[in-house]
Amino acid sequence: MGTIKDRYAIVGVGESERSRKSGTTPLHLALDAANAAIKDAGLKATDIDGFMNYNEGDSCTSHQLATYLGVRPKYVKDIQGGGASTEMLIADAAALIEAGQLNTVLIYRSLNGSSGTRVGRGYDPDMLQGALAGGSFVIPYGSASPSQWFGMYAMRHMHETGTTKEHLGHVCLSFYEHAQRNPKAFLHGKPLTMENYLATPDISSPFNIHDSCLELDEGNALIVTSAENAKNCTSRPVYIMGMSARQCHPHAHYWNDIDQVASDYVAKELYENAGVTPEDIDVAAIYDCFSWVVLRQLEAYGFAKRGEAGEFVAQGNLKMGGKLPTNTAGGMLSEGYTHGMNNAIEIVRQLRHDYEGTDRQVEHCKIGICTGWAGPDIAGAMILRN
Amino acid sequence: MTYQKPIPLKDQDNQAYWDAADKHELVLQKCNDCGTFSQPPGPTCANCGSANVGWEKMGNDVQATVYSYVVSYRPFLPGFQDELPTIIALAQLDRVPEVKIMGNILNCDEQDVQIGMPVQMTWVDITEDRALPQWQPVTN
Repeated sequence: MGTIKDRYAIVGVGESERSRKSGTTPLHLALDAANAAIKDAGLKATDIDGFMNYNEGDSCTSHQLATYLGVRPKYVKDIQGGGASTEMLIADAAALIEAGQLNTVLIYRSLNGSSGTRVGRGYDPDMLQGALAGGSFVIPYGSASPSQWFGMYAMRHMHETGTTKEHLGHVCLSFYEHAQRNPKAFLHGKPLTMENYLATPDISSPFNIHDSCLELDEGNALIVTSAENAKNCTSRPVYIMGMSARQCHPHAHYWNDIDQVASDYVAKELYENAGVTPEDIDVAAIYDCFSWVVLRQLEAYGFAKRGEAGEFVAQGNLKMGGKLPTNTAGGMLSEGYTHGMNNAIEIVRQLRHDYEGTDRQVEHCKIGICTGWAGPDIAGAMILRN
Repeated sequence: MTYQKPIPLKDQDNQAYWDAADKHELVLQKCNDCGTFSQPPGPTCANCGSANVGWEKMGNDVQATVYSYVVSYRPFLPGFQDELPTIIALAQLDRVPEVKIMGNILNCDEQDVQIGMPVQMTWVDITEDRALPQWQPVTN
């Protein structure tokens, strides 16, 4: 992947309305997001020859989306997946363009995540036992929600490092603060104080509702093409410096080995490919399905030493003006939730300086990191520049 | 009153574990080539890929310490709504520290659970012919 440095770009981003109850289908949401991204890039729908999406059986197919955009695409791809799939599909798109198969690829995630299928709920328990590796060793004990699985990781990590509940709270406060500057954030107008945070009862210790990502109805899309094709777009391209598309934890049974996470393995390859170090990063999109996941990734990606991520966050470093402004639209904790794609869209906008002249813009930012977390067992990440 | 919670599904890879559990015993999958224990068990050794795996009996006196836990205040599965909060723990076996086994900690107030606390395995009869391994605090 090292050879692709600066040769591929994200040239368009877009999203649908976000709500608790869209009253429409994921296909409609995907069309809204795709049309917004195509317009943003200054392209015609027929310029797109590849369509890809990731889903959990809760979306429309790439073929449907292309059809209703009036496109007869050369290539469609629908994968089962959640976090880290944005990075994986961008890498796949670059590879297919590199191989001469495609020119321009639109990648989307669309779901009625609130009014439709909700993560971790509504599944038949026996189906879950069979679907999860080793599922019969967790489901009979009532453990079926990501909040419970990641809570188990968080509790051990906090025990070992001295990271506190207040540290988790600082992650939430930082992102909620960003959401107050983003009129499109779902929790815009709902600021959070540490007092309120600490007074909120837990759902699955150590997490309360603020530590958990939003479940919303929403579609997101982004467009990937070569640096050469990017010249035909009206948007400012954001170039991919490096990627580690999807790297796995050495043991798939993540409820047994809870000390290491796949992000630990992604970081090395990522920085080597991009030719930069953590000190070079100006702005970040860190996958934030839960607050603790951010702290653990700050360690994995070299922004804080083990055990020091909590203090790093408590010092305000994730906020505007901090060392690493992160999830500047509010993140999945307070803006919206599309398994990571909304964070990827925001970092593109930051690097394009779309918010120039407002208090939402990270000043003079040139290089950004975007991380995905498909669970402790699988991760992917990319480094982007303007 | 029939048992409302999910009952462990037996399959070809885990049958020995759950058959032993029904008799109130613990068995663990072990690789005959590299000596690694696998929990949860699988079709081959998750360390070296060898299909030469067998089962080692651990008996019914299983001591462990809590490695991590969550206290769950919401029922995400049927049957748990009547017993909230639920303590879900990973316990590290004293005899085989590389193995951690998930279970609920029974007879324990959620204020009292902590990492490092000693627990012992106990088996709860959940149907006429099935039993579920669980953890309970060690009492002196």
